[in-house]
Amino acid sequence: MSFMRNNTIKSIFYVIATILLVLLPFYVGQYTVTTFIRIIYFGFLSLSMGFLIGQGGMVSLTQTAFFGLSGYIIGLFGVERGLIFPWPDLMAIGAVLILAFLFGIIAMRTHKIVFLMITLAFGQVCWAFAAQNTTILRGWSGIRGIRPFVIYGINFNEYQNFYWASLVLFFLSVFILWRITKSPFGLALNGIRENPKRMAAIGYPVYWIRVVAFLIAAVYAGLGGILAAYNTGIIMPTTIQLSRTIWVLLTVILGGASYFFGPIVGTAIAVWLDVLISGVTERYNLVIGVIFLLIVLFSPTGVIGIFDTLRKDKKFTITNIFSFKKRRYIQKHKRRW
Amino acid sequence: MMKKLLLIVTIVMITSMLLSACGVPAVAPAPAEPAAPAAVGEIKIGMISAFTGLFSGFGEMQKQGAVLALEEANYMAGGKKIVLIMEDDQLDNEQAITKSKKLVEQDKIDILTGMVSGDEGLAVADYMKDKNIPVIPMYSASEDITMREFHPMIVRTTWTGAQSMDVFGYWLATQKGWKKVYQIGEDYSYPWNQGGGFMRGFCRGGGEEVTSVWSPPGSTSDFSSMIASIPLDQGYDAVLYNGGGGDAVNFVKQFVELGYHKKIALIGQSNTFEKPDLDALPADIVGAYSPHHTADDLNTPEWNTFKEAFNKRWGRNPSAASEFAYSSMRVILRAIDALNGDISDKTALVDAMLKVDMTDDPRGPVSLDPKFHAAIGNVYIREVSKAEDGTLYNKGIWTVKNVSQFGPYDPDTYLKQPIDGNTYPPQKCSDFPPEMLEAANIYEFVEFGK
Repeated sequence: MSFMRNNTIKSIFYVIATILLVLLPFYVGQYTVTTFIRIIYFGFLSLSMGFLIGQGGMVSLTQTAFFGLSGYIIGLFGVERGLIFPWPDLMAIGAVLILAFLFGIIAMRTHKIVFLMITLAFGQVCWAFAAQNTTILRGWSGIRGIRPFVIYGINFNEYQNFYWASLVLFFLSVFILWRITKSPFGLALNGIRENPKRMAAIGYPVYWIRVVAFLIAAVYAGLGGILAAYNTGIIMPTTIQLSRTIWVLLTVILGGASYFFGPIVGTAIAVWLDVLISGVTERYNLVIGVIFLLIVLFSPTGVIGIFDTLRKDKKFTITNIFSFKKRRYIQKHKRRW
Repeated sequence: MMKKLLLIVTIVMITSMLLSACGVPAVAPAPAEPAAPAAVGEIKIGMISAFTGLFSGFGEMQKQGAVLALEEANYMAGGKKIVLIMEDDQLDNEQAITKSKKLVEQDKIDILTGMVSGDEGLAVADYMKDKNIPVIPMYSASEDITMREFHPMIVRTTWTGAQSMDVFGYWLATQKGWKKVYQIGEDYSYPWNQGGGFMRGFCRGGGEEVTSVWSPPGSTSDFSSMIASIPLDQGYDAVLYNGGGGDAVNFVKQFVELGYHKKIALIGQSNTFEKPDLDALPADIVGAYSPHHTADDLNTPEWNTFKEAFNKRWGRNPSAASEFAYSSMRVILRAIDALNGDISDKTALVDAMLKVDMTDDPRGPVSLDPKFHAAIGNVYIREVSKAEDGTLYNKGIWTVKNVSQFGPYDPDTYLKQPIDGNTYPPQKCSDFPPEMLEAANIYEFVEFGK
């Protein structure tokens, strides 16, 4: 909560940024809005992964499977069974919760590298199942023809409406997750990240706190998956393949895994890099890879880490414009996360 | 200060809701406008293709063919400058849709073409359904693009998966007298479609059984267990490898390494022995049959001119993928020429494409079906042969003229059947619906080159 304290200029900056985002469809082209929709749904996904990494110290590679699962549920029940809003969406979240609970109670018995491997295995099992099940999930062809609904006369097939709906959902979700992070539950999770044994000794139910954190993260991935399915209109096994998972992990690290907003910043940068550089050169993956490498090399805490270091440095007066009062505050408190 | 934060969030929420409520009627008509060409006298063609990933070889060939056609026309058609915008989709559906959106929303293209794999084509065609922009799939062969999911803005001047394979299966059963074939295929829509065509043709010609085994594309580079489980003692006449690209190279190499080419005949689907992958295959597969709409030794003036021009520009021999891209691009350019560059009416543009004279196509004369906008053209049965310089090439042996995407079937009967998958058509020919076995033969096998 500290980011608001004694800092009206910064609050005004946030409000202006929000208003600019809300008014976006009025002053930019359609494709820019589409790109922001992509940032939002991948933002959900990387937020889900970043929450587990940053707050709980758990690198989970299953999140993309939840992302795909909710898309598949939308495809199966929204397109093929013809159910209408909000049933497919609620079912998608329900299915994600059930699967996350099943995976969670197994995976949370492990820590560190074993946890990484077991979640990788879960993700790959889901991918292989989606790719090989041709009777229900249609194998590699996937399910096509997913379209947003018309709700209360608002047609979400219009990209502006879809953008605003996604944006509202995103703001709400980010706010809720932020509150969770700052709640006693979030602090207990941070404690578990630092030292699970000590937390267990104090009397915290370490195992169940981790399971609940996993469920929360899964819901975020699921929400992203719903938006992605509606936006692309198709769900295929390539959506949940390993390269996507790795890409999301990279965006989390790029933005700064230890910062709450790191995954969102990372996704925004990665998506925009992809859009801008793929238009210039055919070898865009190479360029993006080098940029990723340079950022991680010079700032292990990601892009936000760079700004944080600059802000703490007294010599950089220009970057301190937004926080001239905060400088003293930071020096006093030395924020860790 | 918590209150302050809540206040700000509430204000933002309310503002956004108000704006979205007010904004709806004001903004809604905007996307309904047809995408107008950005500059006068300029026509933008978007090309989406997999330049990276499992099928990058086909993507590259496709790009070279399309660029050659444009360069021959000097990037001009109907008095207007043609701009080609290429996007890579990495063979990923999310990327394919995103890149299509980029082409439609940002570049405001007038025509969309490209697409290598079957699923990619289906996904892009599904997205383009209500965009009022002509879609010209090049190498993407899923038949449903021009059948069950056809929409009037689609023009496919190339092929469907079943088109060449139906002829092939029929030929093997009637001319070779084969009864049983063991099929190993990649588990996605294009090989299903190829396998479906093969099984229909094979069973109609008097075959008994096509046993099928499927594996996901690109999931393994080790096929030894799959090859070892081929039953050699159950009277199979041949093994059909139903896959292309990197998988086909791995499979065929291991098939030869394990010595199976001496025990049982190997045949392929259209892509298995295609260039440039053929160059990576061992010479022991000489004599393997496959069908396609091109053959490397096609000795017509049109093909020779094209081959020479392609060789001069890119320093390699053309493949089917580059020929398809070349001919598709030429149809687009000729249609624009026919309309004198006025392509504001997209329906007229599609009509003009259907009327384009394609009798001088390098792969042989092609005509377009006015109802489903699909191509009717030659199918060549080919055999892998060794050229004098030691390289492998596909030598034509038989030609069948004017094959449509429905083969010998009546379109209505054909469309009543389920979509080809890994469980349909049935593996035993006796389980086939009778109407699929009864169609009269309309194929006329002409010796290649006559």
